[in-house]
Amino acid sequence: MKIKSILIANRGEIAIRIIKTAKKMGIRSYVIKTAKEPGAWYLEEADEIIDFSEKFDETIPEFLDIERIIKSAKKHKVDAIHPGYGFLAENPGFAKRCEEEKIAFIGPSHDAIYRMGHKTIAKELARESNVPLLGGSPGAVADAEEARKFANEIGYPVILKAAAGGGGRGMRVVEKEKDIERMFNLATNEAEKAFNNPDVFLERFVREPRHIEFQILGDQHGNVVHLGERECSIQRKHQKLLEESPSPALDKALRKTMGDAAINIAKSVNYYSAGTVEFLLDKDNSFSFMEMNTRIQVEHPVTEKVTGIDLIEQMIRIAEGEKLAFTQKDIKLNGWAIEWRINAEDVQSGFSPSLGTIEKISWSENEHIRVDTGVRDGSVITPYYDSMIAKLIVHAETREKALQQSSLAIKKFWIKGTKTTLAFCRAVLQNRNFRKGNFNTSFLSKELKLHYHQEPDEALLAAFFATYDYAREINENEEKPLHTKNGNMITPWVLNKRLR
Amino acid sequence: MARAAKKKKTTSLIALSATNKAYEFKKPLEKKIKYQGEVVEIKLHEDSKGFSYIVWKKKKYLLDVIEKKQNRYTIMINGVWHSFTVETPISLKRKRYLEQQNNSSSSVSIEAPMPGKIIDIMVEEGGEVKEGEPIIILEAMKMQNEITSHVTGIIHAISVKKNDSVMKDDVLIEIKRA
Repeated sequence: MKIKSILIANRGEIAIRIIKTAKKMGIRSYVIKTAKEPGAWYLEEADEIIDFSEKFDETIPEFLDIERIIKSAKKHKVDAIHPGYGFLAENPGFAKRCEEEKIAFIGPSHDAIYRMGHKTIAKELARESNVPLLGGSPGAVADAEEARKFANEIGYPVILKAAAGGGGRGMRVVEKEKDIERMFNLATNEAEKAFNNPDVFLERFVREPRHIEFQILGDQHGNVVHLGERECSIQRKHQKLLEESPSPALDKALRKTMGDAAINIAKSVNYYSAGTVEFLLDKDNSFSFMEMNTRIQVEHPVTEKVTGIDLIEQMIRIAEGEKLAFTQKDIKLNGWAIEWRINAEDVQSGFSPSLGTIEKISWSENEHIRVDTGVRDGSVITPYYDSMIAKLIVHAETREKALQQSSLAIKKFWIKGTKTTLAFCRAVLQNRNFRKGNFNTSFLSKELKLHYHQEPDEALLAAFFATYDYAREINENEEKPLHTKNGNMITPWVLNKRLR
Repeated sequence: MARAAKKKKTTSLIALSATNKAYEFKKPLEKKIKYQGEVVEIKLHEDSKGFSYIVWKKKKYLLDVIEKKQNRYTIMINGVWHSFTVETPISLKRKRYLEQQNNSSSSVSIEAPMPGKIIDIMVEEGGEVKEGEPIIILEAMKMQNEITSHVTGIIHAISVKKNDSVMKDDVLIEIKRA
């Protein structure tokens, strides 16, 4: 079946990313307009807008409303739905509803989503596929007491994870027995909120592992290949901050072993579409299966840069029933790619979200740089969705050159109006062990003392500007007591802030 | 932004940082800084896209005013923010004097670091709290965040309750230093 139209059940940069490939393939794109972001950029990029914005209510979960999305898809007679990441991307019920209504779901089968999404079933599948695993509870833990029992058996530290989870939510590391009850409650509350399912399970916590994941592509005819790994060890509270491909920790032999393991796990659920198998890699190069993400991931561009394969295009072709046009032998990793996540976060106070308006955004373009973003001048970062502003992807022949190009690109990435993680990116780039490729998931807590980088004179210049601006205002007020012209002398964004 | 300053009498101004570091500028409107024994000129520019930047010793520094309330400023230079209060020599003296007076018996307020919803309050009025202990769980951007106390002391007042929505910088809890 040829797909001629796609409804994108998502927003922001990933909606724009999917639209880009749809355009290339001559496919009509439909997006959903919400009252929370009625002026968002992705709406303009799409061919058609489906309006869900009749009423503003922050509790309306537009991108989670399965029946409304299905109804709209049918009304507009779209051939397929792409869920993007987050929201309904890993909801087996949604994939099933699409199937029932004969709408192509651009993703894996609902059965694969269900089994991989259920962490305890996934672990069982990995065991059957002879892929190494961490010890822990065989299923969900009933209460804090049972968690304490399992933890005492395998020894601290342990990690509590949402059975239905991912992306760091509903996840807590417990270092000591006295914290287990409090952490159990935090994890279950968060899991309930985020995934509508409070179940958590417990695992041995590997200290300072690397987080390595493999990109998988499978078709509906039983062919599965891997597209190499992504190094995602630089994290904060299990949220990735930058990713690269390949990983400095892997050689050809280890890549093959882990890649084969990833393929075996995918085959155990007859996986098709794009997917990601996540592993923890210990210092002795032993690895264990963590989970499989049955969706396109935020960090997919680094894989696209080194393999030259458009993953969204592959997902669409696979959903159409096409066979993969390549085998494992054909996949070549070319050069080195790094993705820097630029979020609206305050890195100087614990990465707390920094809401506001992106007054200006600009970067320099060249053959090394790709920027995936859902914002432009004037876009608002709302509290309703995640804090991502843009992904800066840098690709070069070697890691060293990619780092060099990253420094230049980050220096020229200018954003005005909100605090961002750019100063954090600079701090990472300055770090010697990062440059050497010698790091793991403890990088932020142990290696990077200051989570931002500043040049020596920056504080002095900031101090100067504060006094200058203050002196100028006093002067103007003395001269013109009516302040009639004050508004003309300041840019609208400053005025806007004062009025708030 | 780069409007030329008029020749006027200007008093000395001091930018006092959050860590109590004082930067004094004798004539801030003249856009010159005395730096390591020499006077260096500062230039303020705005480019065609609307970005403001400082040119200082032949280098560009991206400039953004994040917050401005009376004499309180948060200025961002190259993506790193710096908070100051702008003081005159007299107001600085008074401020330092008052701080000395208050320091011994002061109570500290814990403020919301971001807008969100109160999920749980883990302390009671009159109870003891140690530095680093969690006192409140605040949900923001779909994450539950533990707000911890940065002092050791007695809970003096709790100004929020479960399920309250709070704005950034709202006072959540006041603690009397032990």
